[in-house]
Amino acid sequence: MTRSAQNLLLMTVGAAVLWITLGSGEYVNYVKPGFRYLLAPAGAALIALGAAGLRREWRENTAHEDAAREGAGHDGTVRHDEARGAAAHDGGHGHGHDHSRGPRVAWLLCLPVLAIFVVAPPALGSFTASRGAGRAAPPPAPPAQGFGPLPRTGGPIAMTMGEFIGRSYEAQTGDPASFTGVPVRLTGFVTPREGGGWQVTRLKMACCAGDAIPFPVIVRGLPRPPADSWVQVDGTWLPPTSGKAETGVHELRGSSVRRVAKPKNPYE
Amino acid sequence: MMAMTEPAGLRTADDDLLPPADWAPRRTLAPGTRAAWIFALLALVLVSGRAWAAPLIDARALDAWTTVFVAICVQALPFLVFGVALSAAITAFVPPTFWRRALPARPAAAVPVAGALGAVLPGCECASVPVAGGLMARGVAPAAALTFLLAAPAVNPVVLVATAVAFPGAPEMVAGRFAASLLVAVLAGWAWALFGKGEWLRVPSPPHGAGEGRWEAFRQAMRHDIMHAGGFLVVGGAAAATINVAVPAAWVDGVAGVPWVPVLVLALLAVLMSICSEADAFVAASLTQFSPTARLAFLVVGPMVDLKLIALQTGFFGRRFAIRFVPLTLVLAVMASSLVGGVLL
Repeated sequence: MTRSAQNLLLMTVGAAVLWITLGSGEYVNYVKPGFRYLLAPAGAALIALGAAGLRREWRENTAHEDAAREGAGHDGTVRHDEARGAAAHDGGHGHGHDHSRGPRVAWLLCLPVLAIFVVAPPALGSFTASRGAGRAAPPPAPPAQGFGPLPRTGGPIAMTMGEFIGRSYEAQTGDPASFTGVPVRLTGFVTPREGGGWQVTRLKMACCAGDAIPFPVIVRGLPRPPADSWVQVDGTWLPPTSGKAETGVHELRGSSVRRVAKPKNPYE
Repeated sequence: MMAMTEPAGLRTADDDLLPPADWAPRRTLAPGTRAAWIFALLALVLVSGRAWAAPLIDARALDAWTTVFVAICVQALPFLVFGVALSAAITAFVPPTFWRRALPARPAAAVPVAGALGAVLPGCECASVPVAGGLMARGVAPAAALTFLLAAPAVNPVVLVATAVAFPGAPEMVAGRFAASLLVAVLAGWAWALFGKGEWLRVPSPPHGAGEGRWEAFRQAMRHDIMHAGGFLVVGGAAAATINVAVPAAWVDGVAGVPWVPVLVLALLAVLMSICSEADAFVAASLTQFSPTARLAFLVVGPMVDLKLIALQTGFFGRRFAIRFVPLTLVLAVMASSLVGGVLL
């Protein structure tokens, strides 16, 4: 891998990072929103590094041409280490290891760039959510002061999937009356369940999409919208029917479902 | 930077990692012939993929794979860039004499100090091998230089911050990584001081001064490290995405149920994946199916033993060194992470 290729590759990777962070905003499909404060400087640093390398190379080339034109005398001052070193190693029988030539493995850096620009992978959806079905995500810990009491009058209360599951877990293991009959509104994507029925799901990301775990809530009493469509479901918490208190399954008796646009941050 | 620490006339496997050139007979095919073979191979892969793999691959699985792959690369990149910048700055701006003054003369005493230095100074693992070689060439005891080699990539501040970001709300993972890695580095150094024989180790010859400006050295070191570490990060991201998407959950649960096996599986995975230490915490965090102790083993083994480090160490210090030092480190790392994981996690 030549020096120019390395410098260009650095700039391409930097540009791809800047594009998903500042340009398209697609970075929220992959990492948490706060990560942009790290991504943008890193992308800028890569571009600066590649640009400095290209500029240096360009100046060396002109210096070489000048030296060639003048015929002699410049050898001591012209920097020719990198360029000539690289040429000498092309044969593959050079001795040591010249830092102007990059390793072949570096070409792999093109893959994420290609994936970003060509595929533009979407946020994770029902495929990941149903894969995690065997592993029940632990209910999120309640806030330090506990979940506050909910008003029972007025419209449905919008809450995150995490809060719903946390409250449902508390109601299952403690006092069911605290959560029974309260109208709530959940936003998530549709995951079909094996053997019929569906659940509204949101993926919880600890750090990046690689560690996303699903927060599913089974919806009863409503027809299933298409898989992976984003919906807003109104309904009330459904207490577990069997005698078991802690089921690890959280259900909602739906009263209405509405298709909505995908939220800006698809994760929780 | 490495021009300063690099001994002349030494064939290191650094440039064409995996495998180093002397593992296989050198190819003498003409470039045209080679290209034709590569394209024939590519065509074969495409045809067989179309015939057998395509009907099995769910488009949603492919999407999920790509998302996880890009996510791991994007997540790790800032830490890679800043870690490499810091390590390049140290290589370019910290004078060589600093090391001799900072380390005690007796090897047994120098080993823990070298471990502590490694914990303070960020160094990419690709950089730490040549830096350790440079330390030996400047008269630092080999045991201390080897401790630094193990500690610098494993327990430096950048790596610990990256681990804390990757495992939010789990400071014990950061503490465990720090404790286990430092333990391995110091124990390996002492073991080498006690039992190591001089003839096993080829001490690199003293560096020859290179007439580089410091900024130029910094720039080249940074580019060099990003090129190496970035390529391996992509390999690691692809492997982690495949495990995440393609390996059936039942297999993993089966493996995870047996004592000891998950630790060994993730240790082996760390060796194969060769991810840069600034990025490996994000891959480990994505392996949610495994126990915390197994993931700790992944984090402790990865920066100390992996394919690219084996290649680098063989290139710098000789084969007789590598066949002794690599198993020693691996065994110590697995034991230390099981121990620390059992206590902390």
